[in-house]
Amino acid sequence: MKQIPVIFMHQLTRYGCSPSTYLSAAVFLVLCATLGLHVGQWLERDSSDLQVFFQLHPWLYLILTPALSIQLWSDEHDAGFHTLLKTLPITPFECVFGKFLAAWFVCGIVLMLMFPIVLIANHLGAADNSVIRSQFLSSWLLAGSYLSAACFICTLVRQQVVIFLLTLGLLLSVSGIYSVIEALEHQMPIWVIDSLISLDPLSRFDTIDNGKLTLSDSLFFISMILAFVSASTVTLTYKSR
Amino acid sequence: MLEIDGITKYLGKRKLIHNLSFCAQRQECIGLFGESGAGKTTLLNLIAGLSTPSGGRISVAGFNAQTHPYQVREAVGYQLQGDLNHHRMSVKSVLNFIAAVRGFSGAEKRERINKAATRLELFPVMDAPLAVLPMPWKRKVAIAQAVLHTPHLLLLDEPTEGMSPEQLLQFKMLIKSLSDEMTIMIASRRYDELSTLCTRALVMADGQLVADTPLPELQRNSRHYHAVTLAAQTPLDLLALAVLPGVAGIEEDQHAPGTVTVLALPGQTIYPHINALIASRGWHITSLSLEQGRLNDVVHHLSQEVRP
Repeated sequence: MKQIPVIFMHQLTRYGCSPSTYLSAAVFLVLCATLGLHVGQWLERDSSDLQVFFQLHPWLYLILTPALSIQLWSDEHDAGFHTLLKTLPITPFECVFGKFLAAWFVCGIVLMLMFPIVLIANHLGAADNSVIRSQFLSSWLLAGSYLSAACFICTLVRQQVVIFLLTLGLLLSVSGIYSVIEALEHQMPIWVIDSLISLDPLSRFDTIDNGKLTLSDSLFFISMILAFVSASTVTLTYKSR
Repeated sequence: MLEIDGITKYLGKRKLIHNLSFCAQRQECIGLFGESGAGKTTLLNLIAGLSTPSGGRISVAGFNAQTHPYQVREAVGYQLQGDLNHHRMSVKSVLNFIAAVRGFSGAEKRERINKAATRLELFPVMDAPLAVLPMPWKRKVAIAQAVLHTPHLLLLDEPTEGMSPEQLLQFKMLIKSLSDEMTIMIASRRYDELSTLCTRALVMADGQLVADTPLPELQRNSRHYHAVTLAAQTPLDLLALAVLPGVAGIEEDQHAPGTVTVLALPGQTIYPHINALIASRGWHITSLSLEQGRLNDVVHHLSQEVRP
């Protein structure tokens, strides 16, 4: 476990040195603010929370998550450096978890950069900060689960374009689960529908986003992160044999 | 320090390493010789924990490589054969990262990096991106990262490839200074360059260990052992050289006209007789050297013996 901070800092430096990090973060923030203000008409609604902004996040993560995930294993594209890493006393878990934490931390920073909207909400006077906190947490948890899935994809394939497309495809599928559930509502047994709903991260995101922060929803995201991190670790361990 | 007991490595059905055993002690500098495809890099990869053996046991600094791979990796410094490359990182940031992984921080980390950079004379390129450096510099960085943590066992794979004579001299001085602190194993096909460095030679051929002997012993097996090579501007009297006592034969260098090598019979010393002949005939000799044996010939001969 002692190498996790080293890998975390190394990956964070790599993100800091990469223009694509700033570009994807800027696109995420600009789109979030523009769509929330103009399409969501937040100012006209006189809302006490930031739901019009946060409800866009599952879709906006389709841009941010693949952009961050393709950089997760960019070191491994340099053949010499990749082999060198294998000679160092770093376990696959330390490698995966350190890299994942760095990507998640970057997501956290991007979310923090939404603070002017929070300031405006408080300035206008009707802000419910406990709901806003819950919305930030739900968005960050969703980002973590998306990133852990992307991290797993990175351990399976090496080509950056393929990683980007696979991550995008996976996240689009997740985003589309709700539509599938709606379409199947009258054709499938109720327990299948209930199971699908319980597996849908977006419905859990909506619950927390509405200010209902429950342990089960939070644990759902955390367990999803742990599952994908474990799968990535197992894949890397298997590959290194 | 290093114990290898009956290791075998298969790649599919192909046997890369066949029942190989040897031990290495502290402060030994071992030359791992063999022709291309002999299994030198495979053996180093197995010792460093890059791959696992199909059978047998490897122990480094008391740790079994199969059961304690991370402790073994902590005890080993490995300069890989291929180029060390990174598309964005500078030399300094690579060394910083390696030092952090090796558990150093703060002043100790800076001190370690400075020491490695001083040893390899890397200061002029510390801020340069690794990707733009020429191959010999990349090799120096690869060696620097391997010695940074003062490992118990240093593995070097073709370290002298692409080095200029000056760089080779610096490298030899570095290895001599490091051999007091650690066990060093150098895999190379440029055997004669390492003849003054290594105390012991392991010769591999077709995945087998065909010789494990002190380096002078290996040199003694060369037919050029105690041969005398001389070059002159005027043609030499080869007959006069051939009839000298203890002379086994004469070889003319096809690439350097006027240069001949006079071979000695086993146990015979011909150098004084040749010196006396030169003095008596008044030959204008441009170079005269007593050979310690050509390792290329010995390794090639040993490799031929095991070839099916």
